[in-house]
Amino acid sequence: MFGAVIAGLGNVFQIFNLLFLFIGVFMGIVFGALPGLTATMGLALLVPFTFTMSPASGLIMLAGIYVGAMYGDAIPAILINTPGTPAAIATTFDGFPLSQKGMAQHGLVAAAFASSYGSFIANIVLATAAPPLARASLAFGPPEYFWLGIFGLTIISTLSSGSMFKGFLAGALGLLLSTIGMAPIGGDVRLTFGFPELQAGIALIVALIGFFCLPEILSSVIGQRRATYAREPVKPRMGVIGEVIASLLKKPGLMLRSSAIGTIIGFAPGAGGNIASMVSYNEACRWDRHSEEYGKGTIKGVAASESANSAMAPGSLIPLLTLGIPGSPPAAVILGALMLHGMKPGAELFTAYADVTYAFIIALLVAAFMVTLIGSFGSFLFSRIINIPSRYLAPGILFMTVLGSYSIRNNVLDIWIMFVFGVIGYISNKLKFHPAPIVLGLILGPFVEEGLVQSFLAGKAAGGTFSYMVFRPISLVLIGLSLMSLMWPLAIKLKSRWRTEERQPINEGGQDA
Amino acid sequence: MLNVDLIIGFSSLVIAGVVFLVTRELSMLGGVFVNYLLVIIGVLSVVEIFTGFVKPDRIRFFESANERKNIVIGLIILAIYLILLPFIGFLPASYCFYFGFNLFLGEDRWQTRNILQSAGLSAIVVTVFYFVFSQFLGVPLPEGSLFQ
Repeated sequence: MFGAVIAGLGNVFQIFNLLFLFIGVFMGIVFGALPGLTATMGLALLVPFTFTMSPASGLIMLAGIYVGAMYGDAIPAILINTPGTPAAIATTFDGFPLSQKGMAQHGLVAAAFASSYGSFIANIVLATAAPPLARASLAFGPPEYFWLGIFGLTIISTLSSGSMFKGFLAGALGLLLSTIGMAPIGGDVRLTFGFPELQAGIALIVALIGFFCLPEILSSVIGQRRATYAREPVKPRMGVIGEVIASLLKKPGLMLRSSAIGTIIGFAPGAGGNIASMVSYNEACRWDRHSEEYGKGTIKGVAASESANSAMAPGSLIPLLTLGIPGSPPAAVILGALMLHGMKPGAELFTAYADVTYAFIIALLVAAFMVTLIGSFGSFLFSRIINIPSRYLAPGILFMTVLGSYSIRNNVLDIWIMFVFGVIGYISNKLKFHPAPIVLGLILGPFVEEGLVQSFLAGKAAGGTFSYMVFRPISLVLIGLSLMSLMWPLAIKLKSRWRTEERQPINEGGQDA
Repeated sequence: MLNVDLIIGFSSLVIAGVVFLVTRELSMLGGVFVNYLLVIIGVLSVVEIFTGFVKPDRIRFFESANERKNIVIGLIILAIYLILLPFIGFLPASYCFYFGFNLFLGEDRWQTRNILQSAGLSAIVVTVFYFVFSQFLGVPLPEGSLFQ
């Protein structure tokens, strides 16, 4: 193994391969940052080009795109409240408020550093513990996926700053939206209202653009005629990079926990970065003594989301490289690239092609460092985007939302869906019915439904649906975590009420004296 | 002043009712999840309506008449763009939209300098993105049925 690692290092640090890696990271950031373009699309576009390269060079460039895109999606999430990919949805919760306070550079640097950190930790796991973890990933069956989805939904209790009932109602409506299209099991066509284009369901990115980006433009730029997109202008300075990185390094628990969540969810095939970032955000909020800071613009929220969704990428490669099971759509494209170069996933990758495999893993690590560099220094440029007067920026953003919504499936109906969701998002924001839980339901719906229906079928065959769904080790852990997550905000409220009641007699006594 | 809870409660109940009516033909596997959701939405909507009567949350929807006017005009411009897109094609529709929206957001919109600036910006931005998406990324942007 040691020889293969050295050979891999030699491969990555060749000048041309480093250049390919840099180009890959840069392209990945661009693909991640443009709503409508995804890491999967970037990888798929580049695979034919890598065919003319050596396997090592090709895979090194793909590694760059994958890692770059995992960071790139945070840029529009922070600046304009539009996640570049669905995995960055939780980044908007704190990233955009930071941007509104004139601290976009803080958010961007936090996202870059956290992305690199998460990617680094997950790569270490990939390089050292891939085979046993891959076997563990096979323990995830339909009930586990169902409970993982439910666990993801419990973030609603954190997101609902006002009434929790409203939050859950919004979440349920989002789940209902997710049932539009063909049923994952059974094949029934549901709620398409005569539009054949809807058989594939609602594209997530279209919903994200509609619910997050359009309402913000309608409200601040068009409605209130604000001169700039952010309330406070951004004044980037060099010191911010050091301040943010130092501040995050002082939170090893947050960073390690978020990275671990991303890695674990990554190696469960199909779970993806959306769930990783939301679960991680929820846990960060729950375990922080200052949980009231979340949602109002804190770099901790950005770091929790970004480190998890970036750790998910190498995590999803664990079952791919060892078992040939891609843990995410981009991992499936990488599987295609491996096949093109005649490399079969499994033991062969770590024996016959060990030098190329380790070159790929090391490239993922080096790409993580490149992301910190490009992201931190690029923050000077990126953060200034929101200083551009609204009258120039808003038409461009609106134009990009239309282009992004269309290019996902080359479908004009998707632009109309984005428009309708934008109007609904604007109205629901005004009614204090925040659309984040709706989107959460939409994201987790297929996951929960598939787990539920498959569990029904398998449970019937096993002799009892309830026992099949509940009495399994991972299920029990996830049920426990879901209950804890659900009860946590209530517990915090009760605790603060008791504290106030305890303090009151003392104050009253003091006044009397 | 609008009663937020009543609006949300009744709207959700109507949505649940419509979905209930159009999903009665589904098979057991295709309908089980929808049915569970309908029950949950029904219960939560009733809770919202109840809250709307007992402890209502009231808001003013638009801060001013100007805000309402701006939102309506902005949405109309965007809707016209979306209607024109499949008929006249991506490039002409986008040029018009970008130009029109830029003028709409400008304060002294009818000055020659502003008009020229908006036209120049729309030409550059739309053309660059058209080439990146259609030529480099291979996205088949709408050609426009009028010209086919």
